[in-house]
Amino acid sequence: MANRRLLVKRLKAVRNIRKITRTMELIATSRFKKAMDRATEAAEYTRKISEIVGDLGRANLKFSHPLLERRAEMKRSVLLVLTANRGLCGGYNASVLRQTLGHIRGLKESGIEYQIEVSGKRGIKFLNYQKVPIHKQYMTFEDQPSFADVDALGTRYIADFIAGRIDRLDVAYTQFVTSSKQFAVVESLLPIVGLGGVIETKSEAAVDYEFLPSAQEILAEIVPAAFRAKLFKCFLDSAVSEQIARMVAMKGATENADEMAGSLKQQYNRARQAGITSELAEIIGGAAALG
Amino acid sequence: MTAGKVSQVIGSTFDAKFPEDHLPDIYNAVLIEADVKGNKVKVTGEVQQHLGGGRVRCVALGNTDGMRRGMEVTDTGKPLSVPVGKATLGRVFNVLGEAIDGRGPVDYDERWPIHRRPPLMEDLSPKAEVFETGIKVIDLLTPFVRGGKAGLFGGAGLGKTVILTELIARIASAHGGYSVFAGVGERTREGNDLWLEMQETKIGTTDRSVIEQTCMVFGQMNEPPGARLRVALSALTMAEWFRDATGADTLLFVDNIFRFSQAGSETSALLGRMPSAVGYQPTLGTELGELQERITSTKKGAITSVQAVYVPADDATDPAPATAFAHLDAFIYLERRISEKGIYPAIDPLASSSRLLDPQYVGQRHYNVARRVQQTLQRYRELQDIIAILGVDELSEDDKMVVHRARRIERFLSQPFLVAEVFTGKAGKITPLADTIRSFEEICDGKWDHLSEAAFMYVGAIEEAEEQYKKMQAEA
Repeated sequence: MANRRLLVKRLKAVRNIRKITRTMELIATSRFKKAMDRATEAAEYTRKISEIVGDLGRANLKFSHPLLERRAEMKRSVLLVLTANRGLCGGYNASVLRQTLGHIRGLKESGIEYQIEVSGKRGIKFLNYQKVPIHKQYMTFEDQPSFADVDALGTRYIADFIAGRIDRLDVAYTQFVTSSKQFAVVESLLPIVGLGGVIETKSEAAVDYEFLPSAQEILAEIVPAAFRAKLFKCFLDSAVSEQIARMVAMKGATENADEMAGSLKQQYNRARQAGITSELAEIIGGAAALG
Repeated sequence: MTAGKVSQVIGSTFDAKFPEDHLPDIYNAVLIEADVKGNKVKVTGEVQQHLGGGRVRCVALGNTDGMRRGMEVTDTGKPLSVPVGKATLGRVFNVLGEAIDGRGPVDYDERWPIHRRPPLMEDLSPKAEVFETGIKVIDLLTPFVRGGKAGLFGGAGLGKTVILTELIARIASAHGGYSVFAGVGERTREGNDLWLEMQETKIGTTDRSVIEQTCMVFGQMNEPPGARLRVALSALTMAEWFRDATGADTLLFVDNIFRFSQAGSETSALLGRMPSAVGYQPTLGTELGELQERITSTKKGAITSVQAVYVPADDATDPAPATAFAHLDAFIYLERRISEKGIYPAIDPLASSSRLLDPQYVGQRHYNVARRVQQTLQRYRELQDIIAILGVDELSEDDKMVVHRARRIERFLSQPFLVAEVFTGKAGKITPLADTIRSFEEICDGKWDHLSEAAFMYVGAIEEAEEQYKKMQAEA
């Protein structure tokens, strides 16, 4: 059995990998809790804003806002792709990127110009490999994106949209539904489609508001705010989903490594025992032949 | 013709006492013929050792049932010989050169002793020419040598005999020369199947069946170790006649050379030799060397041989297969992991190799394609642990592509066999070497990345994979 040393080597390697995956699983779990808290808090805020916007919509007012305006001719669009800076999180990055490629194909077919903006090293690497031109790239959004950073982005998009430099903004990210359900989507954020569209409004009893100074002015304030909140939520959702994906992936990896280590150990033991048996047999046989 | 008496019977070996000054030579055949209570006992033995005191130790080439001390033993004065010549074609023999196909005695002109010297070094032929088989994986990665030796290594039930039968069907039916088949210690049923099949298979477009150009020698599992030990030599002697006397290209198929070593090991201890590594005979290398060195091409004619080698417990480091390995030009290793995936022939593309896979013999293009295929599969194998633990998503984009292609290549190495039509329900495919090289080159270049993995299973050239893919899509 010449491969015994090989088995020991592989066994060691698998055990080392297991240590890493187990640690990463624990880290992801603790990060997931923090990210989850932030996401739930932000969700409260977003919901309230959507409620107000929904109420406004129901107030049967005549209003208009540049961010609500759907241009007849879509010419230029921006696609923001949210991926992770790190790997080892199962299909998290891959599924967002798959959606991205699908979306790009769609844009190409309908002849819309597009600029790709990517957050996360994984996405940047992948798109570079696929030779998709990247317009802007961000690597600063870690698992705790700050509102200030996202706000800066949002402000730029609003300015670009109002100035007519872009006609459409899509975000490819992983939507967080529950801690056991997340999926990759491409969502259109600009122009804002329908006022209630941010989050399903649930207020049953419509509250009568008195608008001061006027509905139009409040609208001018609240529409961009809703957009920013929505954009921020995309980042937060991505962050939570990433940690969940990593947790699940690392848990699976640890289990796989355990299983593999077990079978390698068994193979090694068997090889070792076979070696001992054959050596014994040879010694006994030799002794018997000599005797 | 001196006579002696049996002095001891130990299993399949026996001792005989001769007059001190008339000892039979080593390797001489001795004959025992007697009547024991109405049962005829007829055993041929081969002298192996001189023990001193006029005693010789012999291996029985037949069953020793009914043998007893005191029986008369006659020395034939020469080694065992078998009939040779064109009269042997179409016939089936046992180790002693007796016809066992029930078609009456063989009308031979000449008998040759089974123990002969290997050809002299100066007579050997240095040719190195590719022998096309039409099997993709063999032609691409382990090209056979015309006039060379190829070995099929594999554990139990991996399809060694099927591949050997397939090669007979492919080569012998397209081959103008003579073929000799040696059945060494394998199932008697398989020998019978082969015999019947050879009668049905026609040579090329002629009306003659393959058996008319073939002679078969069997010493199967049911026979005592002495028969299994010598049957390969009997067959080889007949093949040597075709090579030396007619100068024709001769094919020699041996199934299974391991049984030759095994029979040697069974008799070795009975002959009083001390067992060596893993209980094999200490003379393992010598015995096999004496046989293998005779299977060779000379300036007069060529013997191309294909040998199946059983690998006990899938352990290629076992002394018997390890010794056989050194004698071969092309080396095909059958792997259980591949047969478990349902890919047949289950040839391991990385463990198998050939002396001929070298740019100066096969050409630069063939060599490059073969190397690329091996590199891709090698990388895939290295990545397998990572994939098993972390999943395929964690690989870099380049590695993902490698895995993607390797999985397709792996499946494309399968091929429907002519002799397995009844099992697979698919007609056997003979793929010309040029098509094989082109197909693999295109897969490596990424031209067929869009086809699904299943489309690559059991097809000939790459165009058939495309066809299969379209058919599968139409059905889905």
